[in-house]
Amino acid sequence: MNHKELISAISTKMNTPKAVVEKLLETTISTCTELLVDEKTIGFQSFGNFEVRKKMERLSVHPATQIRTLIPPKLVVNFKQSNILKDKLKNLSKNE
Amino acid sequence: MNKEKISSQEIIDLIASKALISKRAAEEFIKMMIATIEEALLAGDIVKIKNFGTFKLQWNEPRKSVNVHTGEEIILDGYHKVTFIPEASLKDLVNEPFAHLEPVQLDDESNFVISEKKENEVLDPLRIFTEQASEIKDILSEIQALSVSSKPVTSEEQVKDQEQTGIEFEVSKTNEPIILDKEKVIEQAIEPTEIISEEPVLIEQEETQIISELTDDKIETSSFLENAKSKNRKIWFSVLIILLLLAGTGSGLYFLYPPAKDFTDSTYLKSKKTILKMSEGVSITDMLNTISSWVTPETKQTPIPETIFIPKDTSAMDSVTEKPQIDSLQYLFDNPRIYREYLGSERINPGSRLTIISKRYYGNKIFWVYIYEANKDHIPNPDNIPVGTLIRIPKVDSKLIDSTNPRCIQKAKELHDIYVE
Repeated sequence: MNHKELISAISTKMNTPKAVVEKLLETTISTCTELLVDEKTIGFQSFGNFEVRKKMERLSVHPATQIRTLIPPKLVVNFKQSNILKDKLKNLSKNE
Repeated sequence: MNKEKISSQEIIDLIASKALISKRAAEEFIKMMIATIEEALLAGDIVKIKNFGTFKLQWNEPRKSVNVHTGEEIILDGYHKVTFIPEASLKDLVNEPFAHLEPVQLDDESNFVISEKKENEVLDPLRIFTEQASEIKDILSEIQALSVSSKPVTSEEQVKDQEQTGIEFEVSKTNEPIILDKEKVIEQAIEPTEIISEEPVLIEQEETQIISELTDDKIETSSFLENAKSKNRKIWFSVLIILLLLAGTGSGLYFLYPPAKDFTDSTYLKSKKTILKMSEGVSITDMLNTISSWVTPETKQTPIPETIFIPKDTSAMDSVTEKPQIDSLQYLFDNPRIYREYLGSERINPGSRLTIISKRYYGNKIFWVYIYEANKDHIPNPDNIPVGTLIRIPKVDSKLIDSTNPRCIQKAKELHDIYVE
């Protein structure tokens, strides 16, 4: 499901025009992005948490060439599902 | 790290205020959005959201574990997990604080240490410069305290002011005794401090005074100058040494540290402009010429006029001749070079080097960068050119490949560093 399909699915569910949904989704995403840039954790009830984690700098060694490289620290977005979502997913069979 | 958590309610409020809709509508939208994403995920689909990221299901295999209390082996069930892969744009935005960092290859530790040292060395000249500046400030304040009656001289601007007042003196043709008094005061101020202050501003002040004297009584100029010369010989000599020292450090800084170079260039040009403007009046040019002829031994021994403090000493004539040369060179350096004419072409044999070709054509191997620039489109790596490649030797402006000019060498070295990387 891509962006357009998501919008159309939401719009049919909410009975609202696609343009409105698209705008709302855009606002939501820009808001989330801003919050994440501020290194804040966003919790969506029954869905999960978005948080920014800091990956520390590390030394990596190329296994074949033995070249050592210093990888700088970085900030990454991490999503952790809530337990409610996890329970829902439990009912899924393995091969889906 | 700020771990403040924004709850669903807070984000709903934020969205409501941003999209100018009621909170209820926003809440409904968020719920619907999450429900839709969940449904799609439960259906085993992936969900892509533009500018944000992708939600995906990941199957975690069941695995064995040990119950820590009983030591019993247990099997953890496999489960699905929602993973979120942020899009590149979001990644970049979030990682902005560390975006400037790049992975560093460590061949061995010594290499790393050396590179750090180099950075320190680059910073050194600036630090020395600031130290000197503070020293000068201290000395200045001392002098100010001693010579209460004389005008405090703190910057070039004030010197300029004094020059202007000097011109005013010319108009009024008065005030000789006052100036003489001033000079005496300054001498008194200099002698007790003994260090005679690494402070060219003082010299400038004296000069400006002499300028005003000149303008005051043109007839008596020569005799008076001789007088002043004998008076000031001692001071001049020590001041000359200090000037030389300053010029040395200044030029060192000038060549070592590019920002300083830019700075001095700009200030130099500015000061030149003022000199040129002032020389519009005929009497002032005469005056400047006399001064320059009188100061020439000074300026000759300080070979680099680009230091910050000296510009007033250089005569208007000198500045006129030097200005276009610097400008055209800098112009050549700053603008991308376009190669249209070629001296010839060379075929790369085993063992051929761009540096060797450069030495043959331009007389110095450092100028190989210009050959490389002209052939960039078919040489991906200047260190490893495939044998048989035909290389065109460009005709380069002779000013640019002047091996006697340190600035050309410097520029070529900078380019070399860029390309070898």
